[in-house]
Amino acid sequence: MSAHAAATEAASVANAAAGGQRAGIVEMRITLRMAAGVAASVLACATAHAGEHLFDSGFDHRNEGPYSDADAARFLTQATFGPTLAEIARLRAIGYNTWLAEQAAATPSRHRPYLEAQAAAGLDVYQNSRQEAWWLHAVRGQDQLRQRVAFALSELLVVSDQSGAIEGNPIAMANYYDLLVEGAFGNYRSLLEQVTLSPVMGHYLSMFKNRKPDTALGIRPDENYAREIMQLFSVGLVQLNMDGTVISSGGQPVPTYNQETIRGFAHVFTGWNWANCPTNNWEWCPSGPVDWPEPGWDAYWLQPMAPMAAYHASAGTKQLLVYPGVALPNGVLPAGGSAQSNLQAALDNVFNHPNVAPFIARHLIKRLVSSNPSPAYVGRVAAVFANNGLGARGDLGATVRAVLMDSEARILPTLASNRGKLREPLLRLTQLWRALDGRADDGRYREWNPEYSFGQAALRSPSVFNFFLPDYRPPGELSNLGLDAPEFQITTDTTIASVASALGAKVYWSWRGQGGQSPEDIVVDLGPEVALAHNPARLVDRYDLLFMGRTMSPFMFDTITGYISTMPNTNSGRRERVQNAIWLIQSSPEYAIER
Amino acid sequence: MKRRQFIQRALCATAGSALFGALSGKLSIAHAAAISEDRLLGTDYRALVCVYLYGGNDSFNMLVPRSGAPRTAYQNARGGLALPVAQTHALNPVVAPGDGGSYGFHNAMPQLAALFNRTATPSPLAIVANIGPLLYPITKAQYEAGSVPVPAQLFSHSDQSVTWHKPAADLAVRRGWGGRLADMFFATNPNQDLSMNISVDGENVFQAGDNVVPYFVGQNGAESIPFVGEESWNADRRAAFIALRDAPHGHALQRQYAAVMRRSMANGTLINSALDGAGALATVFPDTPLGQQLRMVARLMQVRGVLQMRRQIFFVGIGGFDTHDRQLEDHAAQLGELDGALAAFHAATVELGIDDAVTTFTASEFGRTTSINGDGTDHGWGGHHLVLGGAVAGRRIYGTLPNLTIEGPDDAGWGQIIPTTAVDQYAATLSRWYGVPDAQMSTVFPNLGRFASANLGFMNT
Repeated sequence: MSAHAAATEAASVANAAAGGQRAGIVEMRITLRMAAGVAASVLACATAHAGEHLFDSGFDHRNEGPYSDADAARFLTQATFGPTLAEIARLRAIGYNTWLAEQAAATPSRHRPYLEAQAAAGLDVYQNSRQEAWWLHAVRGQDQLRQRVAFALSELLVVSDQSGAIEGNPIAMANYYDLLVEGAFGNYRSLLEQVTLSPVMGHYLSMFKNRKPDTALGIRPDENYAREIMQLFSVGLVQLNMDGTVISSGGQPVPTYNQETIRGFAHVFTGWNWANCPTNNWEWCPSGPVDWPEPGWDAYWLQPMAPMAAYHASAGTKQLLVYPGVALPNGVLPAGGSAQSNLQAALDNVFNHPNVAPFIARHLIKRLVSSNPSPAYVGRVAAVFANNGLGARGDLGATVRAVLMDSEARILPTLASNRGKLREPLLRLTQLWRALDGRADDGRYREWNPEYSFGQAALRSPSVFNFFLPDYRPPGELSNLGLDAPEFQITTDTTIASVASALGAKVYWSWRGQGGQSPEDIVVDLGPEVALAHNPARLVDRYDLLFMGRTMSPFMFDTITGYISTMPNTNSGRRERVQNAIWLIQSSPEYAIER
Repeated sequence: MKRRQFIQRALCATAGSALFGALSGKLSIAHAAAISEDRLLGTDYRALVCVYLYGGNDSFNMLVPRSGAPRTAYQNARGGLALPVAQTHALNPVVAPGDGGSYGFHNAMPQLAALFNRTATPSPLAIVANIGPLLYPITKAQYEAGSVPVPAQLFSHSDQSVTWHKPAADLAVRRGWGGRLADMFFATNPNQDLSMNISVDGENVFQAGDNVVPYFVGQNGAESIPFVGEESWNADRRAAFIALRDAPHGHALQRQYAAVMRRSMANGTLINSALDGAGALATVFPDTPLGQQLRMVARLMQVRGVLQMRRQIFFVGIGGFDTHDRQLEDHAAQLGELDGALAAFHAATVELGIDDAVTTFTASEFGRTTSINGDGTDHGWGGHHLVLGGAVAGRRIYGTLPNLTIEGPDDAGWGQIIPTTAVDQYAATLSRWYGVPDAQMSTVFPNLGRFASANLGFMNT
């Protein structure tokens, strides 16, 4: 979006949120949204800035690509929920830069409107609806990169419907997901603030109605959000170099914070309640302007939390993060200040910690490209997070571009390098459905419980630590080689089989024209595939491109081609060729590991 | 099929794993002449079952003081979160608690209270008080002065849920003492193709060994892939699938994926056919996640003869214990689930005639703060745990009950209670019963000698 558009939108946000006590935050939001607007254009390398080299960092002097279908397919595997032949051809025609510009300009596909439309149509709206919205936008959304990045962010800024506190609020959770969608190319400081003030996050990590100390009642501030915002959303546990390697002092890592810091932040994050709360009504603040079950009884779930001064721990200094160049002397937030001003200072304190750049860089690389990036790669991306080339820190759009356009992402790594990653189970299904136009006749994606077969589902992880830790290593060879392999943490004997079984069911037992399907069943379209199946080699090559970016080994190619050639060249035989070729690929070790 | 099916081949022993590898050598059965013959090769079956409570169980509301100074301290600390005496089940231990109080279980635990209090036959349930990860015994003064080392990253979920399982709190590698025991005992099992460590709750550190990798099953059995089953109509596809699976792979992650797939398929066939051939258990298990996990454990124990396993270690777990808020409602539900599932599981072991061969114990990354944040508690340190089984010297509270007074002598600060028993001691006591000789105990648990006793005494050997 252009900076002008960003400012316009920000102004309307300001109008909608008018209220004296929130003016400070709104003003900050305008500033950040303008920065976000510029940042989004930086993602795009928009032609409006023709002549400017926004990324004069050396690695981007290469000419426009991709130069082969395989390269295009690899890029789309990283940047979307799965390549399609049409998108490969488009990307070949327009090149990376234009493709990224289009993605930056594409209208964001929001999840909340989908749920609200169902509610308006009289349907019961549960977490099932939220999953439907996720699948719809992942498989069919035009803003593929934005959705992919939002998903990656959802595995960092984790909330989960496994928490009883938010499970009953699917629309609010969809609204939370939309923060990630809308913020995917924006500024991380802005996103961090929106997440912090989201009532969904407030309930998930108990900042909502966190209150200042009360010695009479034996109450002290809840430390949950204070801990996790540092450990999981920004700096992590130990000091990092810009290339993501751990700083060592006397042979030991250096902690980024201690219990005192947690208490400091815990005191800052006090006094926040529902928006529009009547003054002094802390305990009985309503979640909406009307009572249940009137429509709108839960309206404030969709608005940022609002502070109540009497419950904010204004008194006392608060120890925050300490690091070179920290704005607060010794990282200490002075006593006094309001809930808003202290929140801003605390978020600034977190955001400006040097760790944030490699922390976010490494997360995005691991979600999009490879589990074991070189430190140099991490460092290049972290440098862009720290400064997008226009002096702005935290530009996610520029950071995403840096992740995708780095040579370490664009050049196919060798097998021996062990670069790349184990594909997340959900992405294997989105890839299948995008490649084969998987959809139900009524347009809905009723894949309500992917966690059963695939071991994961959007905003449904077992804990705030996502489905897997970023530095997980299974015991054995990978551990001995020092290779991180996060996705293996959910690749158990059970799920490796259940994923293969579920993918098989989608292609063998749910295809268009099979007979016995209802308009609700998601079916794949094998028609275009069957038309080519008289030529096994050509068929397998097609799937090599679509699913594996033409990295299939000769042995695998020969094995699959040889096997499917044994099926007769009849209608049903050709269909079986298609189904078996696809499933043997999707259940193979070569496909499982994306390079 | 060879042992190699489930032993992870190491291409090389890096510096990090060299020490562990050296220890594994010392622990192997070939060198362990001290282990008694019948423990190793005889007919006796032993199983440990770890019941993991994710989030940090608020054990100070699980085992509740009902009288005396401990009750006063508890009420003062807990305020609105204190359970009224009438909402606890009185416990009647053989020896009165040394702190002058009397105790009870949370209202939601009637079955475990009954098991604890049983006198008609020996009680199978013991309580071990105030366990937590320690590097050395430590007093409050030492903690505040920083003069004695403590484990890193206390109060952090992700760290403590790893540390709690390690055989030493400062062990560099991510291994659990259940994995260490498996490395030691796997060779004793006639079946060398199935891991002796089985988890019904997926990935965990407890069972991670150097050579033994845990095998995961679901609540309904092992997963299998219908498209490559052994039926005749799948033969060609199965052959192609296996060819792709077993081809030489030049990428380490591909090799790992293939290895997991091989293991999954081989063991799936074995386990599902064994379960299909067994009769139904008479014991009824609650239809809760933990109930169904333990039901699967019981069924697997039932077919241990078919599986040809003499030594096994199981892992189950449930979440929901991180009660920062809504503690009163949420904790009651979780403890109720624990109560029903453990009681049923013990009954099933009795039904199978192996109740004195199976010992079940709880674990959790930390206890919680004595002080509250309004409607919940925060991450603590020491916490109480339960041990259940026919070989347990039950109806007793082992260890030292802590003083719950805010800013009292056991309060490290902000209500986080300093453990009075180390996890090492708890684990060593269980390991000793399992068959680890006393002479080898300090090899398994390197820090054990720093603590007063290697055997807390809650097992009737």
